Amino acid sequence: MNPCRALLVFLLALAPLAVRAATIEMHVNGLVCAFCAQGIEKKLRKLPATADVVVSLEDRLVAVALKDGQDIPDVDLRKALTDAGYTVTAIQRTETPIDAIRARVKQARR
Amino acid sequence: MARLPEFLMWALVSTAPALAIGKPIAFANGTTVMIEYGAGTMQEAQIFYAPQYNYSVGGGHVEFDSDITTETVRITYARLNYLLHRWNLESAQANVYVWGGAGAATGNTFTGTEFAFNAGGQADYETRRIYASLKTDLQKANAFSIRVDTLQLGIAPYEHDYNQIATWFVVQARQYTDDIHHGTEVAALLRLFKGGAWIEAGVTNGGKLQAMAMFNF
Repeated sequence: MNPCRALLVFLLALAPLAVRAATIEMHVNGLVCAFCAQGIEKKLRKLPATADVVVSLEDRLVAVALKDGQDIPDVDLRKALTDAGYTVTAIQRTETPIDAIRARVKQARR
Repeated sequence: MARLPEFLMWALVSTAPALAIGKPIAFANGTTVMIEYGAGTMQEAQIFYAPQYNYSVGGGHVEFDSDITTETVRITYARLNYLLHRWNLESAQANVYVWGGAGAATGNTFTGTEFAFNAGGQADYETRRIYASLKTDLQKANAFSIRVDTLQLGIAPYEHDYNQIATWFVVQARQYTDDIHHGTEVAALLRLFKGGAWIEAGVTNGGKLQAMAMFNF
């Protein structure tokens, strides 16, 4: 294969990774008690693609930062939250870094 | 004061739909350890492991000391807790738990060791500002039948968030059968929790210490 064509194939292969979400935000019902919600963080941190987790009771939000080039299927996310005893109402993939979400959550607490 | 069943019914109706005591199930693959000092009339320690979010297994030890007679009963038991139903609402959660188990009892009003069974249930409702639970727990053997009914109503002065310390002011009303305590024992409690640690302490209308510590991991 000529080098230009090989480079093109390589770049095309990388393309899906370039648009892959950095963070998954989940809206969760029943998220009212931090003592009871620890299971969510424990469960999500065990998933191999998880880099970080932010939980906000105020925003009824659970955010998961993904490791580079990795993803977690919705079905696995829903199962993790259900196993922790909660109900996921929406799942959204964003490019927002987890630290920005953490800062946003802290700001909302003030 | 009205007897506890009427009082509980009134409290449930008047606080509905806004109606927690520590929950007997933490989360899937979670362990809960609880120690309670109940005003000198009841001391209890429990440990439960939850393979799934909706049930846990474990055991405990409870000691009842009557403040009317000289009766003392000690029971060591195994128990299964089951989450019958959970309502995950947008800004609230409600649960109904039931449990049952069996164990061995000793005491100073009977000889030897008796087989004892236990059964109970709990309904709770909580938002980030309001908390209520109703719990009943029966320990029964040939020599005794002790039921403890507990109502807790709590209010939080602020809405805590994850990784923040939570503060609750809780009023607890408790009644015992089998002459453990006469009348309704009322306690005012301060509850604090953060991460997997929960502590609460207060004083009863009889001036006695009521305290509980619970840990999830």
